Amino acid sequence: MDDLARTSAQITAPLLEVSGLTKRFGGLVAVRDIGFRVARGEILGLIGPNGSGKSTVMRLVMGIERPNAGSIRLQGTEIAGWPTHRIARSGIGIVFQHSRPLHRQTVLENIQLALLPDSLWRLFAEPHVERRAREIAERVGLGEVLGRRPATLPFADLRRLEMAKALARDPRVVLIDEPFAGLTQGEVATFSELIDGFRRDGHAVLLVDHNVKSVAALADRVLAMYLGERIAEGTAEEVMRDETVRRVYLGGKIETHPRQYLDARGGEALLDVREVDVLYGKAQALRQVSIHVNAGEFVSVVGLNGAGKTTLFNAISGLVPFAGDIRVAGSSLRGRTPARIARDGVVQCPETRELFGDLSVRENLDLGGQHLASDADRESQLTWLFELFPILNERQRQNARTLSGGEQQMLAIARALMMQPKLLILDEPTLGLAPVILEQLSKALSRLRETTPITVLLGEQNVTFAVPHADRVYVLEHARIVWEGDPGRFAEEMGTGYL
Amino acid sequence: MMEMLRRPGPWIAVVLVALAVSAPGWMGAYFLGIFTTAYYFGVFAMSWDLLFGFAGEVNFGPTFMIGIGAYGAGLLNNAGFGIPLCLVGGTAAAVAAGALLALPALRLRGPYFGLITLVAVLLLLDLIVIFANITGGEIGMMVPDVLSISASVNYWYALGFLVVSALILFGLSRSSLGLILQATGQDRIEAAALGFNVTKHKLAAFCVSALFSGLAGGMLTFYEGAASVDTVVSLAITVQIVIAVVFGGRRTILGAILGSIFLILFDELLRPLGQLNTFVVSGIALAVIIFFPDGVLGWVLRPREPR
Amino acid sequence: MLALQILIDGFAVSALYGLGAIGFTLMFGVSGVLNLAHGGIMLIAALFGWYVAAEYGAGPYGGAVVGIVAGLLASYITYFVVVRPIQRSRAIPKVEEEIFILTGTLLWGIMIQVGMDYLFSNNPVSMQPLIPGVVNILGVRTPWNEVMIAAISWAAIGLLWLMVNHTRIGKQLLAASINPRGLTLLGFELSRIYLIVWTIYGLLAGLAGVLLASFFGVSSDNAGNLTASAFTIVILGGLGSVQGSLIAAYIVGYAETITAYLIAPTLRPIPALLILIVVLYIRPQGLLGRR
Repeated sequence: MDDLARTSAQITAPLLEVSGLTKRFGGLVAVRDIGFRVARGEILGLIGPNGSGKSTVMRLVMGIERPNAGSIRLQGTEIAGWPTHRIARSGIGIVFQHSRPLHRQTVLENIQLALLPDSLWRLFAEPHVERRAREIAERVGLGEVLGRRPATLPFADLRRLEMAKALARDPRVVLIDEPFAGLTQGEVATFSELIDGFRRDGHAVLLVDHNVKSVAALADRVLAMYLGERIAEGTAEEVMRDETVRRVYLGGKIETHPRQYLDARGGEALLDVREVDVLYGKAQALRQVSIHVNAGEFVSVVGLNGAGKTTLFNAISGLVPFAGDIRVAGSSLRGRTPARIARDGVVQCPETRELFGDLSVRENLDLGGQHLASDADRESQLTWLFELFPILNERQRQNARTLSGGEQQMLAIARALMMQPKLLILDEPTLGLAPVILEQLSKALSRLRETTPITVLLGEQNVTFAVPHADRVYVLEHARIVWEGDPGRFAEEMGTGYL
Repeated sequence: MMEMLRRPGPWIAVVLVALAVSAPGWMGAYFLGIFTTAYYFGVFAMSWDLLFGFAGEVNFGPTFMIGIGAYGAGLLNNAGFGIPLCLVGGTAAAVAAGALLALPALRLRGPYFGLITLVAVLLLLDLIVIFANITGGEIGMMVPDVLSISASVNYWYALGFLVVSALILFGLSRSSLGLILQATGQDRIEAAALGFNVTKHKLAAFCVSALFSGLAGGMLTFYEGAASVDTVVSLAITVQIVIAVVFGGRRTILGAILGSIFLILFDELLRPLGQLNTFVVSGIALAVIIFFPDGVLGWVLRPREPR
Repeated sequence: MLALQILIDGFAVSALYGLGAIGFTLMFGVSGVLNLAHGGIMLIAALFGWYVAAEYGAGPYGGAVVGIVAGLLASYITYFVVVRPIQRSRAIPKVEEEIFILTGTLLWGIMIQVGMDYLFSNNPVSMQPLIPGVVNILGVRTPWNEVMIAAISWAAIGLLWLMVNHTRIGKQLLAASINPRGLTLLGFELSRIYLIVWTIYGLLAGLAGVLLASFFGVSSDNAGNLTASAFTIVILGGLGSVQGSLIAAYIVGYAETITAYLIAPTLRPIPALLILIVVLYIRPQGLLGRR
């Protein structure tokens, strides 16, 4: 009886134990007082939207960043502050979100590398290394391509290679970042098997991802993060139902305000995107995506992180190559430089905002207005924008870098509006913003909608923000458009199943 | 081993080496001398390729280590020690210098590292000029001993040294250590995540590079009977090394030999142009960098794979 | 008396160094290019300026104008023949682009040096002073020329500062150095911005070369050292920081002048190198560096 008790204590004792973990980057607190445990044979899901700190937590555990405070224990040994290679050798492995093969080496050599000891003096690998590498390759399904170089492999095989390297290291704890991004249904099943294999071997697994749905099937428990803090913990179902989590992802209850004068506008399509495909390296970021936006419309494209919204907008703005057809006011955008597309009236306010941090608010706005015909135009445009965003008027002389997140977002939008765009593209404007700021932003967008004929294409994860303003809604999921319709129907059909 | 014998590469190498060994039988003393210099240069270039191609560090001051190896050996010789001891001493000094240079390397990124290597060379140049009474300044320093007075024997010393260095350096590049070095050079975070101490490996790469560079510098001194700024320290030498490696093919080790021979030969053949020969060679090198960045061997050996 | 002389000489030397370094730092800040042919471009301006002034009898002012134009042309050639093809090449992977540009400009710089040596031999030449005679500053007899050079250097630096901070193009350059992508999103073609930077760079380097010929004299042997001292100053000040370069220019200028006067003229280049090593160890981003 004692033996049994002791063994089960060993089995359930945490393999990885994190507590009080905190990391600051300058003034920004990326991770605040995070703690969790993962036991042998357990899979913990760490989820959160962009900017939640989940990737930072992973990097802290792996030693790629050093924590400002907190403890990380691997089977009782404190490893916080250790260099990465030492942490790796003590039994933690990581599968990065973006595959990182050695491009000049073959698949076999890549796997063999993972089996080598950290020694300067072993010039020749022990004989079992090659044999073991081949075994691992077979296990993950790379047996046929051992002699090929990564550049010639399809996306899923590159991910398999990353899993193979992790297997080769045989770590006690495996950290996997966005395990299923870019994979088809079938591939997801195979990879789930492999991850489950880690669990069966008695290892601990930490899965990091954007949303619960992806990891729900595998994870025993889930920890949800937002803005660096823990907001919920429990089983996958518990977390999905949690109030705070739903609010963070969906923004709360979806309300719709049908636009009064919709019939007065509309007509020919201002933006016409047809059957567009985009490849990032090997990953298919967009698959046969078609959308259109009529003049004067406000269209929202909703989708979780990684669904493809940014890729779509970058294709329209000329920043990434694409296959397919994109037309604005009837003429194709293909072949135009991104700057030209912006001057022609298609202005994007990207997720990263791209402000000029060391320049003042006023200077940022002035640069936006450089292409306007006359000083008078610029003055009147500025005045109008200062009415729309009064806080910018107050902070005119401040450097953009010193503004708060919400103020920076307003500046980015105002700067884009200075260009008097025909089509304004907004990519995730609510990212990382506190609810009270969202109110202000929402009001500003409403005013924009009601007082100008501007056409807006909004990409958002936060459905509560995106849907009420919209005339039409598209849903983008895993690189495809899966739903199209008006906001009313969206609330009915997609509301609950979305997360 | 058996599959190596089936590929054309090793056989071509054997034929070339045999041809090279026989050269004193049919080549005049003038050309023998040119090839002798080219062989030493080949070792300079291979050492640089090991560091650049594998450890991923752009070293704009290989002549720092070459120069210390050369002057170190020369100074010891002037102090009365025999050639073998001088070579050992000079090489040891070069390795120490390489390690010293590596320390900042491992903390600086991007252009900063390249620039500090350049600064090291400039300092060495200035020191040599300042302490001209010991080093002979810009004129150079004579050494009492030489390897041999026969052109053929000198040639064979150089060839032998080249072949042994090539075998070792090439072997290293294909070994497990070479694989780890490639990883640390291409992606240091991934290498660390796989459990490799990047600092340790880069330091090792530096020391190996320094060892061969320094030794080659010392041997060159005892071939020419003198060590001078123009032959072992000046910036022009660095540029020629980089040209030789890029021309021959980065990361092939053996391509560096090809590039060196081409460079030295070409330089000689263009000698009638006077100073302009540097102009032409640099111009060709510039064109190669822009239009054929993979170099000769890089292009020949480019991976041909079934798609 | 000696102290005053050091103060005055050091000031002029530093001003000239500052002018030379600013172009280099602007180039890096806006387009990310470390141009190792910098000394070569200054050399071309200096030698062509001298040649026209002396052999064609155009006098120091005529020579100066020709020299600056020559510097501008050399700058354009460097961009269109060496740097731009490397930037646009698809055969060169992005991560190695910087290295190739460093190597390419280094090669080009050597070609310039050898070419100038061939055309003008490596004998040092110097331009006639812009204003002959000496002036008495607080008891120190200083050549008018030296005063002029310091004044012109600071005037050029001042003009640059005005342009960057108070003109539309200047703001665009500043924005490009902070966030090129942001500029593209606002409809500005980066290719046009780069052309403007190389133009300003050529004018600055040309002016610095011409003034150098007038102050110290130049020979084709100097090309390498000119580049070295420019980047020493720029690294010390912080890559991409114009104020940093100016401060660093004064540190280096005075360090060299003090060494030359108080220790030995031959040791002149040493302090800069030592300072640089110390800085790279303790604070690699330089005094005011951003990146």
